Amino acid sequence: MTRMEKKKLISGLLFISPWILGFLIFSVYPVLSSLYYSFCDYSVLSPAVWVGPENYHTLFNDEVFWKSISNTVFFAAFAIPMGMVLSLSLAILLNCKVPFRGAFRTIFFLPSLVPMVCLAVLWQWMLNGDLGLINNAIRPLLNTVNENFGTQLTAPNWLQEAAYAKWGLIFTGLWGVGHAVVIYLAGLQGVPQHLYESAEIDGAGFWVKTRHITLPIISPVIYFNTIMGLIGTFQVFAVPYVMTGGGDGPERSLLFMATYLYQNAFDYWNMGYACAIGIVMFVIILTLTYIATKLSERHVYYEGK
Amino acid sequence: MKHGLKQKISTFSVLVILVLAGICFIAPFAWMISTSLKPLQETMSIPPRWLPSKFQWNNYREAIEAMGYFWRYTANTVYLCFLTVTGTVMSSALAAYGFSRIEWKGRDKVFLVLLATMMIPFPVTMVPVYSLFKNLHWIGSFKPLWVPSFFAGAFNVFLLRQFFLTLPHDISESARIDGCNEFQIFYKIILPLAKPALLCVALFQFMATWNDFMGPLIYLNDQKDFTLALGLQSFQSQQGGTPWHYLMAASTLIVLPVLVLFFFTQKSFIQGIATTGGKG
Amino acid sequence: MPLTRKLKTLLLCSLSVILISCGNSEKENGPVVIRYWEKWNGFEADAMRLIVDDFNASQDEIFVEYSSVSQIDRRLMLAIAGGIPPDVAGLWNHALPVYAENNALTPLNRYTEAAGIGREDYISIYWDMCTHRNYLWALPSTPASTALIYNKKMFREAGLDPERPPRSIAELEAYNAKLMKRDESGRLIACGHIPAEPGWWSPNWVYWFGGDLWDGAETITADSPENIEAYRWVQSYPERFGARDLMSFKDGFGNFASPQNPFFTGRVAMVLQGPWIYNFIKNYAPEDFEWGVAPFPSVNPELFPNVTLVESDILVIPAGAEHPDEAFAFIQFVNSQVEMEKLCLAQRKFSPLAETSAGFFEEHPNPYIGEFIDLAKSPQAKTLPGTTVWSLYANEMRQAFGSVWTQTATTEEVLSEVQIRMQENFDHRARRWKRMEETLLTEWEKP
Repeated sequence: MTRMEKKKLISGLLFISPWILGFLIFSVYPVLSSLYYSFCDYSVLSPAVWVGPENYHTLFNDEVFWKSISNTVFFAAFAIPMGMVLSLSLAILLNCKVPFRGAFRTIFFLPSLVPMVCLAVLWQWMLNGDLGLINNAIRPLLNTVNENFGTQLTAPNWLQEAAYAKWGLIFTGLWGVGHAVVIYLAGLQGVPQHLYESAEIDGAGFWVKTRHITLPIISPVIYFNTIMGLIGTFQVFAVPYVMTGGGDGPERSLLFMATYLYQNAFDYWNMGYACAIGIVMFVIILTLTYIATKLSERHVYYEGK
Repeated sequence: MKHGLKQKISTFSVLVILVLAGICFIAPFAWMISTSLKPLQETMSIPPRWLPSKFQWNNYREAIEAMGYFWRYTANTVYLCFLTVTGTVMSSALAAYGFSRIEWKGRDKVFLVLLATMMIPFPVTMVPVYSLFKNLHWIGSFKPLWVPSFFAGAFNVFLLRQFFLTLPHDISESARIDGCNEFQIFYKIILPLAKPALLCVALFQFMATWNDFMGPLIYLNDQKDFTLALGLQSFQSQQGGTPWHYLMAASTLIVLPVLVLFFFTQKSFIQGIATTGGKG
Repeated sequence: MPLTRKLKTLLLCSLSVILISCGNSEKENGPVVIRYWEKWNGFEADAMRLIVDDFNASQDEIFVEYSSVSQIDRRLMLAIAGGIPPDVAGLWNHALPVYAENNALTPLNRYTEAAGIGREDYISIYWDMCTHRNYLWALPSTPASTALIYNKKMFREAGLDPERPPRSIAELEAYNAKLMKRDESGRLIACGHIPAEPGWWSPNWVYWFGGDLWDGAETITADSPENIEAYRWVQSYPERFGARDLMSFKDGFGNFASPQNPFFTGRVAMVLQGPWIYNFIKNYAPEDFEWGVAPFPSVNPELFPNVTLVESDILVIPAGAEHPDEAFAFIQFVNSQVEMEKLCLAQRKFSPLAETSAGFFEEHPNPYIGEFIDLAKSPQAKTLPGTTVWSLYANEMRQAFGSVWTQTATTEEVLSEVQIRMQENFDHRARRWKRMEETLLTEWEKP
């Protein structure tokens, strides 16, 4: 190691030292203890008893756990891309020179501000099968289709039918894109205007500019939001938990990995089992993030590198 | 002339899209405010009614009274927000700089570890962290709620790192040639350029603390120490129903400061364009 | 080469900030302060505060500090694990077995024996639900029993005698047929009874069919013939009314705690509820709402008369509490006849004590409170299963109920699945208990 490298290493470590401390205290220690507990029969209150890999063995044969994995994957597979397209388009529109854009930016952020209790009640109404706003909107459409094609389509009972419950959750989840929009907006401020100007001189339209200037330059931010979306959707917990009143939804269609973990830890007094779920979840998310990072390496463009 | 017309049409169509989408996004908030002004009898009517038959402004006063220590809760929340925002911005900016603007051996591997810390589900760390704070005799005090923010949370470090990475490399180099040391580059050059991102982090941290329910629930014992988000729980009785109109009135009061704050922060994003040299 | 002083100061600041530890404030001379955590908010909390004030005024050695704690079961679990629990906590009876077997509570036998309090002082089922593995872990605070609550006006309009509620499941269904209404397009708009409204005790319908959820020892009985009969009865609803019709019917119901509660708006005529329904009727039902109370009909009223599900709020002393003796003094005070009646009257419930004063009935605003007491005393009164796996079991049974209700599986299929899963879980817990048994029993015997 040269003197220069050493110097850089020391100053680098000094800069990240607050994080290193926090990492040791709030991550390493808790993760090691939950790793240990995942091999124990442990209920938080009674002393942990070593049982070997029993929890993992039970876990891999637990149908309910597999169900929760498939629910989570399904949810993530739709929620991440839909959220990304919506938030990115909104951010680009909000970055245009339109009147009242300050007000618009605030409006799109509003649902992220409303407390969970209020949102949960409102969702239940919007998705209500009998009188919900969504069904009131789609019923005329369905009727037209039925009249013209002789079909028997009826509006679904969103939160009561297993086939639709996750879609209800995905749609309502789109309300929460405000955070991602704000991050994209901040990223868009970094795009140098002169690039647009020279592109315009070459006769480039909106799409060309977006595709060849905006997207590459904010690609680090897109990568950020994708990874956060991945981590967030795989740990989805609060919204379905509140919406179902702490349950699993019809046919366990709203049971996600994090819900099952939480139920085991605090409702069923199986902290050891919950820790095993936590470790498996951790490995799954880590693998996916690694894959996403590898895939994105070619597409993410860092000016500072 | 033709160009101007085209411009107008595109601005108009963008506006139309924004208004339509905006209606969907404003709905939950509008409903919250309308419920906060209804008499209890109308709060849960089916089909939902958007306007109260008579505006009950008294709901707000009564909700504040029902919460007991409303102003005390506000003071506690503001205090915690101040500490956590300060801690987060300071520590994450430092760490993010170390992860982005200095090339040191093993940096990107350590960064993957940082990413990994976000993937730990919170219920499994809850018990060990709780017992840690208990051994420090911090349960029942505000410390468990703000001290961790001085240790650079992964989300914020990641966010700031992504922004620091978009800044051109030459600006650091030329400063270095001018004789600046790393801290001076960080403090005098990078931080001012990253103002929108720092505001973002500060805003998110403020909101996270403002709305945090789990943390105060677990760590605070004395009712006088509660935060606003925790105080909202007092409207949910077990077998007597929920006074929705009070709950929504109190929620509105809690949301409004954040809303105002957001409105002004997003304005700074626009100012950010002028100052961060987006013009290149 | 080194970093500037600024950065050093910054780092030092952030470090020193965390190193400042707090010293616990010294205790003042004066009464022993005991901390009491309770789940109640609103008028229920106000009722308990009256009792706490009475206690604090009655003597000057102990001072009780009341706090309302949300999500008390989780909060208490963490506090006990951390070794800093409150001295008294208000839980639900269904949480008792799991807390007791995890050594999280203080056995009360020594205290009750010294105070001369015994099973005979209580309506026996409430005393029994406070015991687990032959130890007493709690004393009841406010109890409940469940009954058929029906809308007299709807009965009259359907040509039924409002003073003659159904007595058997067969009669209930006959009434149901008369009370059911559809509009011209065929949509359900009213019915007599559906087991999913409000559906709080869907696992427990088996009690009204003579069934039970476990044998009280080592066997889960989810798929016993009686339980299958009960869930077949549930299954008959989608078969008769149509699963989708029932779903949209139920989706049209308002929030339970609102004037749009289907029971108050005349969409459902009969529900299974506890004494608290009085509070909801008073707050949300129309002025001219007429209601009656009777035992919920069972499949065979000769064999199973007066079946009811009883539950209770309970007071416990967490293990590791700082002042258990003083805590018990407070619990004992709450359980005196005068204070208990004051508490239950303010919450509009009934007293769990064997004796109830005449004045209590005179003052009680709920005209049917006597019916609820009689039901609690019935030999057919049942509790939630006193096993540590109950919360998981309840969730499994609710899932099973949902599958039957939406016709995605048959009764036999779902119940045998529940049986297999739950027996496995139960055996797992039994092994945990076997391992701990000796240590725990010795510990509980310690004075």
